Amino acid sequence: MHLAWQRDEKMLEKVRFPMGSDPTGNLSRMFGVYDESTGLDLRGTFIISPQGVVMNAEVNFYNLGRSIDEILRKVTANIHLAANPVEACPAQWKKIGDITLKPSAKMVGKVAEAMKK
Amino acid sequence: MSEHVCGLRVGQNVPEFKLETFEPSKGDFGEVSLAGLKAAKKWTVLFFYPADFTFV
Repeated sequence: MHLAWQRDEKMLEKVRFPMGSDPTGNLSRMFGVYDESTGLDLRGTFIISPQGVVMNAEVNFYNLGRSIDEILRKVTANIHLAANPVEACPAQWKKIGDITLKPSAKMVGKVAEAMKK
Repeated sequence: MSEHVCGLRVGQNVPEFKLETFEPSKGDFGEVSLAGLKAAKKWTVLFFYPADFTFV
């Protein structure tokens, strides 16, 4: 099924990631995205660290597609934060090189100033 | 919509899982397991969708 779809759909011709199948629905139940009433999965996206910890979870209803840019932003931020555990990526953080924060007592009430550095 | 049986939350450890896969890069079937991804020290994006031949 995945094979036919990947070969037939032009939007998928560049796909290189593994396309897994979950015929029992066990994995989608584990992540809470299986809809028992329809037998379908919601549009769930989960980022898992190399240690096997869920770092991000996003679930959309059937009628809303996802933003690949947003998923890549989150993956990039996660990789950066794993390497720099004292930092935090604030709202609007987009890419490596953007300002990160080092939360501390000194920053309380001073986030605007910290963002201008 | 019925209630979900359970749902992992952010910060929780994912229990071991294994999936049969189609590998477009090889044009062949394969397998992905959490143990394998951990061993390869890979970050993973797990992407669920309702059905093939729909948008994502």
